[in-house]
Amino acid sequence: MEILVFVKQVPDDGVEVRLDPATGKPATGSIDKVANAFDTYALELAARYTEANGGKVTVAAMGPAGTDSTLKNLIAVGASKAYLFTDPSFETGDEASVACRLAQLVKKCEAENGAPFDLILCGKESTDEISGQVGARLAEELDLPFVSSVIEVAPAGDKLVAKQETEDGYIKFETAMPAVYTIAKPGYDPRYPNIKAKLAARKAVIPTFSAADAGVGEAPCFVECLGYTEPPKRQAGLKVQEKEVADTVAKAMEILIQDKVL
Amino acid sequence: MGYIISDDTKELLKDVKEFCDNEIKEQVKEYDIKGEWPKPIYDMATEMQLTMMDVPEEYGGLGLSHIDQAAIVEEIAKADAGVAVTINGNGLALKPVLIAGNDEQKKKCCDIILNGGWGAFALTEPDAGCDAGNGKTTAVKEGDYYILNGRKCFITNAQVADFFVVTAMTNKQFGTKGMSAFLVYKGTPGLSVGNHENKMGIRTSITSDVILEDVKVPVENRLGEEGTGFYTAMKTLDLARMWCAVIGVGLCQRCVDEAAVYAQQRVQFGKPIWKHQAVQFKLADMEIRTEASRALVAAAIRLADAGLAYTNEASAAKCFTGDSAVQNAVDAIQIFGGYGYSREYPVEKLLRDAKIFQIFEGTNEIQRMVIGRSVISNH
Amino acid sequence: MQAFVFIEVKEGALVQGSLEAITAAKTIGDATAVVVGYPELAAKAAEYGAPVICVKADGANPDEIVASLEAVAKAKNADAFFFAGTQLGKDLAPRLADRLATGCVTDVTGLEVVDGAVLYTRPAFGGTVIEKLKNHGKVQVATIRSGSFDKPAAGAAAAVEEFDPALGDVVKAKIVEAAKEITEAVNLEGADIIVAGGRGMGDAEGFKLVEELAAVLGAQVGASRPVIEEGWISRAHQIGQSGKIVAPKLYIACGISGAMQHISGAMASKYIVAINKDEDASIFGVADLGIVGDAKQILPLLIEEVKKRK
Repeated sequence: MEILVFVKQVPDDGVEVRLDPATGKPATGSIDKVANAFDTYALELAARYTEANGGKVTVAAMGPAGTDSTLKNLIAVGASKAYLFTDPSFETGDEASVACRLAQLVKKCEAENGAPFDLILCGKESTDEISGQVGARLAEELDLPFVSSVIEVAPAGDKLVAKQETEDGYIKFETAMPAVYTIAKPGYDPRYPNIKAKLAARKAVIPTFSAADAGVGEAPCFVECLGYTEPPKRQAGLKVQEKEVADTVAKAMEILIQDKVL
Repeated sequence: MGYIISDDTKELLKDVKEFCDNEIKEQVKEYDIKGEWPKPIYDMATEMQLTMMDVPEEYGGLGLSHIDQAAIVEEIAKADAGVAVTINGNGLALKPVLIAGNDEQKKKCCDIILNGGWGAFALTEPDAGCDAGNGKTTAVKEGDYYILNGRKCFITNAQVADFFVVTAMTNKQFGTKGMSAFLVYKGTPGLSVGNHENKMGIRTSITSDVILEDVKVPVENRLGEEGTGFYTAMKTLDLARMWCAVIGVGLCQRCVDEAAVYAQQRVQFGKPIWKHQAVQFKLADMEIRTEASRALVAAAIRLADAGLAYTNEASAAKCFTGDSAVQNAVDAIQIFGGYGYSREYPVEKLLRDAKIFQIFEGTNEIQRMVIGRSVISNH
Repeated sequence: MQAFVFIEVKEGALVQGSLEAITAAKTIGDATAVVVGYPELAAKAAEYGAPVICVKADGANPDEIVASLEAVAKAKNADAFFFAGTQLGKDLAPRLADRLATGCVTDVTGLEVVDGAVLYTRPAFGGTVIEKLKNHGKVQVATIRSGSFDKPAAGAAAAVEEFDPALGDVVKAKIVEAAKEITEAVNLEGADIIVAGGRGMGDAEGFKLVEELAAVLGAQVGASRPVIEEGWISRAHQIGQSGKIVAPKLYIACGISGAMQHISGAMASKYIVAINKDEDASIFGVADLGIVGDAKQILPLLIEEVKKRK
């Protein structure tokens, strides 16, 4: 089983992003760049699948030159190969552009890997844009079966069964291979790297390709960002704190009744 | 941070920090109350290979530099000093083997650690603490064996150890020159472990007596020549002091971190308390002590790495860091005010954890004696 | 502009978010509702004022739905296709957009038409940044975030048109099993009052106080992400960027510090009450009433007070 996991490098989502007053754009420059959380869940799921059923996991990313550091870190936690695609043309575009490029990159990755992929995974959304479109559009571009928000994958003969997490339960889908799945948070966390694997991975050299190297041409782009604003602020109201808890509650009740909310 | 480390080690440190934040920091609160050895945490730490940083590369170790290792141990100590002490316990047990052992002994002990096992260094006795040369444990040679009898106390990791380094008198008349060191493996008949010590702090580390009753130890398990045990133990302690200081730095830093965050949150007299100069000065002193401690540790590590004498520097680092950790914890509690005295808040634990750093691996009084004597002898 | 809306069906009922999307569609042109499968619900959908196209297909399988919507969009020359911001809606919209060779905007919270062009607003970065977007593609495909538009008032039924897309075998992902694990009825989107709890409730036992207060207030129970991760309550209760977006009249946040990730899901509430022992918790910055104190101590007293006044 050959699994390809596409990874996006995003600003650490533990840090709140604000607009830079000078540029009017999200100020992400000083925030640590990490692998998108859902992509790391995808890698962990893939690693567990191949550990149980055989095979190997390849990770690939489109991104600026520094993205190789993120990919090295992923080699320490389950990926056996990594490819980086970096090109000024990749910096622009919308989800349609990204999906179109990724579809072409699959071919390059397969050529480098020397074997076709049986399964292509993406996180269900990235923690920066949170649009959740790329996996779905990639499946359409490749004309492959698609299942979203997958939390479990099991072999079923020459097919796969993907368990999709839903709002109140799950749906299991059976698909042929290859397929494109997007991954939600499974019932486990990504592993921590052990020190040896980490040190070895940090020494890895990540093969890096430009658009021309990878044979990626023009990509469509439909959605244009006209600008950014900050969300409307809510005015902070009254704060109640008395010496005794009972008095605090009594005073709060008084205000709630006065404001006609109770 | 006073350690200069590579970008790759910084990436590794991020993982360690994430591990500490997610799996140690909050979890240890309950273990601290119960005084229980947090096995799930240690299993994960073993998985990450944090317990095997002292294994040399030629014996399958990780190949971290000592400064890298110090930065990692400090990160763990920031989350919980007890966990750092336990992990460091493996290094403590391995050091005498690496100092005095033969190739086979080294390989065997390193393999134990690499396979997720634990070691314990058993030197201290009820009547021989700082005065380690006055041990009552004996090793009497009978044919191809030594028969060990005696009692060791305050032994870190004793209850979980797969191997012990035990010091015993092979010839009492020779005093410290009559002491030898032995490798004793778990399960050897006559070897038993006492109750877990109910400690004031570092309660996530396990500490117990080790009892030796006619324990038959093959001659080949002796570390080095007969009579070299005290020398081996002292060399071990030089290193141990350095590493104990590393943990102390982590404690110092945690005090600064907690106090700095709280001082920005807590508002009194209409402003965050850090804006009151009294609090600012306290924070500054805490930071100065932390950086100075770390610099002393780094200096000792540099000397040791260069193969130069570092006994005094290790003593100075251990002593200063221990005192700093206690003072920083006291100051952190003071900055937290009444809340600092409450077990609901994290800083009272830091003081309980810090106190031992003035005591173990040679009390700070002993360190001052070591340093004081050397000052005189150098003038 | 001909704006189509996919009407999602869940457990035999129309999904509220899809009805809200009808209102969104009406702001940019003439709205038409599309029901895939479930012909018995077409008349119900027509009550919301938009004509309905009832497609003959399997309404449970996403592959069938996408293919159906593609057929409708092409046959009717759709200028826009809107979806509810549900899990299914977010799966279908980009797939349809790709088939129609156009762009897609998800999580839309606002719409306006300027010089004939549709401009969208949507949150990004966990809700700390709002983007203004324009889709230059020939079809406007979007998912509408729940609570951003009111659902239309039910009234006289509009026309229903049957549509047979004559789909061949379009299913690539076959449903082999579906299960409902969370059987409790959780309706956070439609709730007037929500009592939500966070990590500050301490443990599962402490979280019961949140449920108790909700019970005496006739409110729904919400939770922040850490609570779901700790397993104190099922994920059906999660509010925030990765959970439900809610807009009740009264939102009571207990032991929730107020990470943007959570607050952004409750910002549209009319009145927010925050209970937190940390007087500097960021939740107080958005609360109409802040109660400083340990939620574990406040809640029992609050429950008693509410009971007394009933």
